[in-house]
Amino acid sequence: MGKSWLRDYIIKRLIYAVIIAWGIVTITFVLVRVGPSSPADKYLANMAASGQDVSQITTAIEARYGVDKPIFEQYADYMVNLFQWDWGWSFSTSMPVIDLIKTHWIYSFQLILLSSLFAAFLGILIGIYSAVKQYTKIDYTATFLSFIGISIPNFWLGVMLILLFSVKLGLFKAYYDTTLPLFSLENLKALVLPVITLGTGMLAGYVRYTRSAMLDNLRKGFVTTARAKGLPERTVIGKHAFRNAILPLFTIIMFDLGSIVFGGAYLTEIVFGIPGLGQISFNAIFADDYPVVVAVTLIGTFLILMINLITDVAYTYLDPRIRYD
Amino acid sequence: MTERLQNIARKIGGPLYSNRRLIEYYWQRTQRNKLAVLGLSFIAFLILLALIGPFFTLDPTLVNFEENNLPPVGFATEESVYNIYTDEFTTTEISGTWKHPLGTDSKGRDMLAMIISGARISLQVGLIATGIAITLGTIIGVLSAYLGGWADNILMRFTDVMMTFPFFLLLVLIVFIFGPSLALIVLVIGITGWTGTARLLRSEALSLRTRDFVTAAKALGASDGRVIFGHLIPNVASLIIVIATLSIPGVILAEAALSFIGLGDPTTTSWGIILNSGQQSLDTAWWIAVEPGIMLFLTVLAFNFLGDGLRDAFDPKSNI
Repeated sequence: MGKSWLRDYIIKRLIYAVIIAWGIVTITFVLVRVGPSSPADKYLANMAASGQDVSQITTAIEARYGVDKPIFEQYADYMVNLFQWDWGWSFSTSMPVIDLIKTHWIYSFQLILLSSLFAAFLGILIGIYSAVKQYTKIDYTATFLSFIGISIPNFWLGVMLILLFSVKLGLFKAYYDTTLPLFSLENLKALVLPVITLGTGMLAGYVRYTRSAMLDNLRKGFVTTARAKGLPERTVIGKHAFRNAILPLFTIIMFDLGSIVFGGAYLTEIVFGIPGLGQISFNAIFADDYPVVVAVTLIGTFLILMINLITDVAYTYLDPRIRYD
Repeated sequence: MTERLQNIARKIGGPLYSNRRLIEYYWQRTQRNKLAVLGLSFIAFLILLALIGPFFTLDPTLVNFEENNLPPVGFATEESVYNIYTDEFTTTEISGTWKHPLGTDSKGRDMLAMIISGARISLQVGLIATGIAITLGTIIGVLSAYLGGWADNILMRFTDVMMTFPFFLLLVLIVFIFGPSLALIVLVIGITGWTGTARLLRSEALSLRTRDFVTAAKALGASDGRVIFGHLIPNVASLIIVIATLSIPGVILAEAALSFIGLGDPTTTSWGIILNSGQQSLDTAWWIAVEPGIMLFLTVLAFNFLGDGLRDAFDPKSNI
């Protein structure tokens, strides 16, 4: 019978994703228009305050936004422009928004990638160990520490790490050095504190989820069978129990990536001055640079849609029993 | 009035309200979890602090540049003052005073008063926004399970769509567009935060819907509203309490994070706003960033401990 249902499913989900994306773009368009002041107003107020010629800028902005056109035409233009990768003009940095994003996405990407790897690797290891040694001192310590890790606000953790390691001990720089080449040891060192900041919450979450998923499986019959067969404990835990815990873990990790990590990365970038998408959105907020703030929100949403789709499709490979009809 | 409230509590709280022994039983089970009791004690302390604290402290907005950057009691810092007559730096040691037990910030405002004022805001935001989210989630989830069919389909698809929204980015965008105000922040968190509750309660209500007591209620001629509010919701009350307790920390953190990046209500003194100003003076006055953060951390920890304890206590399968 093959996997023709999978193809249908992916097509269905893609259509679904496009509809949601359209909905989100529409909502942001409406939000910006319904807002108390138009983008141009805010920008003009700033320009007038700094003593520049307002009339000249007004003409330029009106042409740029087409605010003289009827609202539906503006809406249509907005949609068409988005599809043509014309995401507007960033006033505060004097460049097209899409170029701004092209130069800055890599900083967010490296932070999120390293943090996720750090958290997943350590979290799963500690979680397995904690489950195997259930009700020992190590297990209690791990559980208690994971509670603390989940509860600690990551932006505050970042500030505290700066206070301790940069201000008091002088081991790391308090600010991310943007001149460093991306693939270098110095860059990796500069990312140590940010990765701990963003990764700790995730790490603690993974410890808890791995522990409970492992405990569920260790009680099952097939684990007893594997032990009865005389398999070494390593194989029982690694190949039999852990394999069956992968699916729920995978769900959590992917879900985290969408919901928590984007918000967390936003804050971490601001704390450490990493020039990623969160930082440019943050700067844009204070410069009243609407197109950038909207663009970062949209990109975040689109990425989450894609991640959800990939997760659902990957399920069918991780667990062939799952079918979506 | 009290009778009316009791009636409402009896209706919604159902078994939990009308059966004192059940409450006692759950309370005993919760008590066995020491961390949950610790969490509950801290929350009670925090509520007390937020309610009566402001009557005993200084005005948190009182600026006094003569006494700025004072360390907390028991700590001392050095301050270098440049003397233009002798062209020398004189270093004086400043130690904390009991007038400002937790020190002062860079504008000389009393940290203790600011922290207590922040507790008020965090609790307000946490409780109100969670209240809105839980109410919406309960109604949508239970209604979806009860009605079934196309109504269930539409409601759950809508929930899916809401779930894909990057919550924090949306919050940033809305607050940026409409301007920072506490009411708006609470409203947005409440209106967007119900999806998880709806899903959990739907699956719970789905299994309840087919139980005999629901069929019996229907057979006796109970209206849909009566079945939902009189039978389904009371039976998921324990789950609602657990979800609410575990949602509060996230809400408090979201407000603190927004305030921290400068999108907080500027007319308030919330922990996030203090933290924001504290980051700028890390090398001169570390306590400004440390103190609100510790409070935030302890509050979140307390709610997590309590929620976890309650979940175990309400779960008949767990033997604690």
